[in-house]
Amino acid sequence: MSDNQTILLGAVAYDPKVVTIWEGIREHFQEQGVPMDFALFSNYERQVEELLKGHIDVAWNTPLAHVRVRRRTGNESLSLGMRDSDRDFHAKLIVRRDSGIKSLKDLEGKTLAVGSADSTQARILPLYFLASEGVDLSRVKLLPFDTDLGKHGDTGTSEIDVLKALHERRADAGTAGDLVWVNEQAAGHIDSNNIEVLWTTPGFDHCMFDALPSLAAEKTESFKRALFAMKWDNPHHRKLLELEGLREWLPPRESGYASLQDALLQTGRE
Amino acid sequence: MSAELAVIAVDCGALPIGGGLLALLRPALNELEAGGMLAVLSSAPTVREDLPSWCRAERHEYLGVETIADGIDRHLIARGEFSVPPATDETRGRLEPRDGKLTASDVLAIAPLPEIGDPATGFAPRGAKVEPAGPAYPFTLNERTHVAPPEIAKLYDQAVANQWDATSDIPWHKVEPLPFPAARALAQVMTFLAENELSALYVPARFIPRIHPVYAEVAMFLATQLADEARHIDVFLKRARLCGVGLGISSVTTSRSLLSLMQTEDFTEAAFLLSVLGEGTFLDLLSFIERHAPDQPTAELVRRAKNDESRHVHFGLAHVRYGLMNDPGLYDRLEAAVRKRAASLHGISGVPAPVHDALTILAAGSTEPHAVARGYEAFRELLETMHTSRIRRLEHAGFTPQQAVTISELHTPNFM
Repeated sequence: MSDNQTILLGAVAYDPKVVTIWEGIREHFQEQGVPMDFALFSNYERQVEELLKGHIDVAWNTPLAHVRVRRRTGNESLSLGMRDSDRDFHAKLIVRRDSGIKSLKDLEGKTLAVGSADSTQARILPLYFLASEGVDLSRVKLLPFDTDLGKHGDTGTSEIDVLKALHERRADAGTAGDLVWVNEQAAGHIDSNNIEVLWTTPGFDHCMFDALPSLAAEKTESFKRALFAMKWDNPHHRKLLELEGLREWLPPRESGYASLQDALLQTGRE
Repeated sequence: MSAELAVIAVDCGALPIGGGLLALLRPALNELEAGGMLAVLSSAPTVREDLPSWCRAERHEYLGVETIADGIDRHLIARGEFSVPPATDETRGRLEPRDGKLTASDVLAIAPLPEIGDPATGFAPRGAKVEPAGPAYPFTLNERTHVAPPEIAKLYDQAVANQWDATSDIPWHKVEPLPFPAARALAQVMTFLAENELSALYVPARFIPRIHPVYAEVAMFLATQLADEARHIDVFLKRARLCGVGLGISSVTTSRSLLSLMQTEDFTEAAFLLSVLGEGTFLDLLSFIERHAPDQPTAELVRRAKNDESRHVHFGLAHVRYGLMNDPGLYDRLEAAVRKRAASLHGISGVPAPVHDALTILAAGSTEPHAVARGYEAFRELLETMHTSRIRRLEHAGFTPQQAVTISELHTPNFM
C-alpha cells in the first residue's frame, strides 16, 4: 500500500484502542473504494512535523496541533473534517463545596488543580479564559498534572487526576473538559456532596483532520466522501465511532480556534 | 423559547447531574420522538452549567433556560436522533393472571411470535425496545415457520408442570433382586435406553444456540426436553445398576444409528428423525417395557419417562406439521433425509442382538422355553406395533399413506 493512490493518515497512539479504530476505519475506506493506510506517532509534535514535510497526507490533530499547522502553513492548510463532539467544547471550573469559592475572584489564594501543559481543555484554555475574566493567575497556586505530555490531553488521564485531587482535598478547585466532567458524573464517579461545577468557559472547537494545500484534490475528495459515509446506525461503524467518541463526522469549521490561537500568542508558546 | 411546546415536564428538584437527575431525565426523554421537547424543572444552580454539557455529550439539543419562580429554572431540551427508539404500542400489552396463574400461553397472547427474527436484536427479549445498530448475531433459525409451531407455549407449560425427581419420585426401596438372566436382560434394556437418551440430550442441544431468541419459548421447551432426557439417563442407569450385574452391551448398530442422528444439520429434519420417528417409536418400546416390567418401581419409572417422551413427540409433530403447512417442498426433503440416513446405515438389518434378546427375556419373564417363545412372539408384535404407530403418526403429520409406509420401513432398526 505504498502506491501514490493510497492516502496515508497520521494519528497519535495515545491508547491501544487507536489501532482498533484506524484498522476499522481503513477497512471501511477500502469498502468505499478509497485506499488508505495509517502511521501511528507517539506525539503530536512529531506528527505535525511529518505532515509539514509531506511524509503523511492527512493528520488527525488535536486543537493545539491544528492551530500549529494553520500557523506554519500561513492558514493555507486544508481542514477536512471533525467530530460532532469537537464542536462547542467547553472547559469546566470545578470546586470543592467546602472551599469557599463562590466566584472566580475567590480562586485567588487557593489551589487550582490543572491538567497537562499541552491539554487544551484541562489547562491552556481554562487558564486563558479565567485570566480573561479578570482572575490574577499569579495569585492562584497551580497544582499541575503533567501526564502524557505530547498527547495533548487525549488520554484524559490528567483530567481524572484533577478530579481525584479535588476528591482528596489536595486542591480547592480544578479544571477539566466538559465531556470528562459530565461523563464522570453520569458514571457515578463524582461525589456531588463534595465537589460541583462553578463555571463553564466559552465554547471552542477541538480536533481536526489537517492536510497540506498540496494534497491531490482526488485524495481530498475521496477522504471526505469515505469519512462522511460512516453512520451511527451501522453496527460496524458505530463500534468505531463509539471508540473515537463521536456520533457523526461533520464538515470542518475554523471559527472555533480563535481563543486557542490567542491563548498561545499571549503565553508565547507558538 | 416557548415552554408551551414541551410535551413532558420533569421536576428534578435540587438534584445535580451526578446525583440522580439523569434517572429522571433519561427515561422521560425516551418517551419522546426525536425532536420532541422536554421541560426540566430544577432548583440546582449547577444544572445550569452541566445540563447543556450533558446534552452536547448525548447529542440532545439544549434549547435554553428561564426562571419561572424564585430559584426554579425551566430548562428546555429537544431529544436528539441518536438514542433508543420510543416504545411502540405492540410492546405495551399488559399481562393479566387468570385463576391466579400466568402461563406461557398468556404471554404469547400479548407478545405474539414474529414471522422473522432480526439478527441485530440479539438476545433482546421479544418486545424489548432495541437500540439500533447492535451487532448481528449468528442465529440461523430466524423464521417462525421453521422453528415455532403455535402449540409451543402450551407444550412448554405442560413440560414445566410435569417435571419429576429421579431421586425420590420412584419407590426405589421396592426393588427386589432378580434372578441372573432377568437381571442381565433388564440391565441390558436400561443400558440401551440410556444410550439412546444420551443422543436425545445431545441432538436438540445442538440447535438451541441457532434459534433466534424471539422464539425463546422453543429454546425453553427444548431446555425442558434436555432436563427430561437428563432425568431419563439418570433413572435408567440407576435401575440398571440396581440389577447388580453391571451395564449391558453398547452395540455398533446403536452407535452408528445415533451418530447419523447427530450428523443431521437441519433442525426440522433432526426433529423429524429424533422426535417423530425415534421418540415416537420409543413410546411403543416404553409401553412394552412397562407392561413387562419385573417390578412396580421399574414400571413407574418407564411410565414417567413415556409421559415425557410423549411431549417430545407432540413437539416434533407440531414442528413438522407447521413446517409442512407452510413449505410443501419439505415432504420431499424429509423423505430424502430418511433415505439418506437409511443409506448410511446400510448393512444393519435388525434390532441390535443384545437388545433383541433382552427384550425377549424381559417379556418372557423367565428362561423357561415356553415363556421365551411367548416373549419372542411379544417382541415380534412390538415391531409390528411400532411400524403401525409410525405410519399413523406420519399420516397425522400430513404424509400420504404410501409415503408413510415407505418412511416407516426405512426407519432405523435401532428404534432411535
